[in-house]
Amino acid sequence: MITALLSLVALGSTVAYAVANGGRLAPVSLGLGALGLVMLTLAIVLRWPTLVPWAILVTASGYVGGRAGKNVVDGWAAVGGVLLLLAAELAIWSIEHDARIRTERSLTVRRIWTLAILGGAALLMNFLLLATAGIAASASVVLAAAGVAAAVGALIVVLRLARA
Amino acid sequence: MTRYSAPKLAGYAGLSAVGLLTALVAARPEFVALTAPFLLAVAAGLAVATPPRLAAHVELDQERVLEGDEVAARIVVESATPVDRLDLYVHLPDGVELADGGNPLALRLAAGERRELDFTLRATRWGAHMLGPLFTRARDPLGFLVWEATAPTRPQLRAYPREDVLRRILQPRETQVFSGNEVSRRKGEGIEFADIRLRAPGDPLNRINWRASARRNELWVNESHPERNTDVIVFVDSFAEARLGDEGTLDLAVRATSAIADAYVRRRDRVGLISFGGILRWLVPGTGLVQLYRVVDALLDTQIILSYYWREIDVIPRRMLPPNALVIALSPLLDQRSVGALLDLRARGYDLAVIDVSPVPFVARPPSGLDAVAHDIWVLRRDALRHRLQRAGVSVVEWREERPLQSVLEEVREFRRYARHARA
Repeated sequence: MITALLSLVALGSTVAYAVANGGRLAPVSLGLGALGLVMLTLAIVLRWPTLVPWAILVTASGYVGGRAGKNVVDGWAAVGGVLLLLAAELAIWSIEHDARIRTERSLTVRRIWTLAILGGAALLMNFLLLATAGIAASASVVLAAAGVAAAVGALIVVLRLARA
Repeated sequence: MTRYSAPKLAGYAGLSAVGLLTALVAARPEFVALTAPFLLAVAAGLAVATPPRLAAHVELDQERVLEGDEVAARIVVESATPVDRLDLYVHLPDGVELADGGNPLALRLAAGERRELDFTLRATRWGAHMLGPLFTRARDPLGFLVWEATAPTRPQLRAYPREDVLRRILQPRETQVFSGNEVSRRKGEGIEFADIRLRAPGDPLNRINWRASARRNELWVNESHPERNTDVIVFVDSFAEARLGDEGTLDLAVRATSAIADAYVRRRDRVGLISFGGILRWLVPGTGLVQLYRVVDALLDTQIILSYYWREIDVIPRRMLPPNALVIALSPLLDQRSVGALLDLRARGYDLAVIDVSPVPFVARPPSGLDAVAHDIWVLRRDALRHRLQRAGVSVVEWREERPLQSVLEEVREFRRYARHARA
């Protein structure tokens, strides 16, 4: 229950920030964010982990959709990305939790530490990414090349998984 | 070990791919920032994932317990590689429950670590229970990959039925030739006085009855009944049973069989066992404590197995039914095949006593309507069946769960005494 609530709070914070800074497209952020929250709640209640990434994707779309037409890169997106990751991890933790399994306390502590380290590393990486994007905004080819490389890398992972 | 990926691996990878491509198409770096953490998580998770090399098995402190007793057990697990999260689950069969401890449980193992996880089991029902299998499930630190395995060894817990202590048991009509505790009806060397007769050459002097000899002016000697053993065959009907919740007629029959076998073995009688049902099992009559253990062990494997095969008494090996043996049958009288076999045994002249382990308490009577009428007719037909057996000279007593076995045996004794007088 605690992890489920924290997950919804993390996703809700991202939605709230997107709505607050959405400008004239704030209703788009609100609509997609609400849909994402509903999907995440359903995923937790129905214990359906496949729905979690979709909820994150919908919320992220609402976040970016609200910023359409703005030329300035939002530095807070770095925090938003980490919040989305934490929302997904906490939701999956909640789904995986089974009260019948007697779990050692050290396991819980270790999982919290793992999440904290992962969140910290993701935050650092996001700051670096956004800083690079800000510096090299004019040299968009470099950014595009890096983006394509990353996208291809992600696709390779997906394909390897599909083969496995 | 079987490896598979958790749903979140494909989800995170797909999310990252879609996010990065959308960032390129829409030229929004924010989308990269929002989805790149998921790619980082996937990369980190796969980088640190190590296939576990572990061995696990279940141990029992005792392999033999009495029904209702508790037994200490432990899962021993050892891993050569670090395992961030290991789930362990021992499947418990019906008749065994967890009394204390955790099952399933989750723990973490360092490289080379060995853990012994204690828990307590309770055997709630008699039987030979196979514990396990023990299922293990290991995950990498971020939970992207899962390895599952099943431990190959499965310990067996043999729970013996709790039995009543019988003070008096049924006396067979005939005894056998070996020494025992049963006073034979025949005359011979023994302690119990039987009769007197004229002395014949070869009679020992210490058998002369001096008082009778003095009265009659010739030598008379005492005759006595020898103490002999008996052959007792316990016939357990395992064709069908009535069951309500955790109790059934077969449970009662098995407990009673155990008590009866124990009582006869203590008297140095030979005890055999026939489990007459879907699977025919038998144990050749024998004596001694070892035989008692054999009987109880054989009982543990008794179970109801559905069968349409029409068995008759001929399928039982001839040496299983020695002449002059007392056959004590424990049957719910639900299957015509076992009823037919009992009548057949009686027709062949065996000394037969039937304890009807009544299924009636295990079948709730419907409150009204045709079902209630059908129930009443069924009860009446059971009475008629018992009467039919009694007319054939079989002592039949209905045993309901609440009655002690000793009281049922006393009723059988009374019937047999009455039946003997009637024959005389």
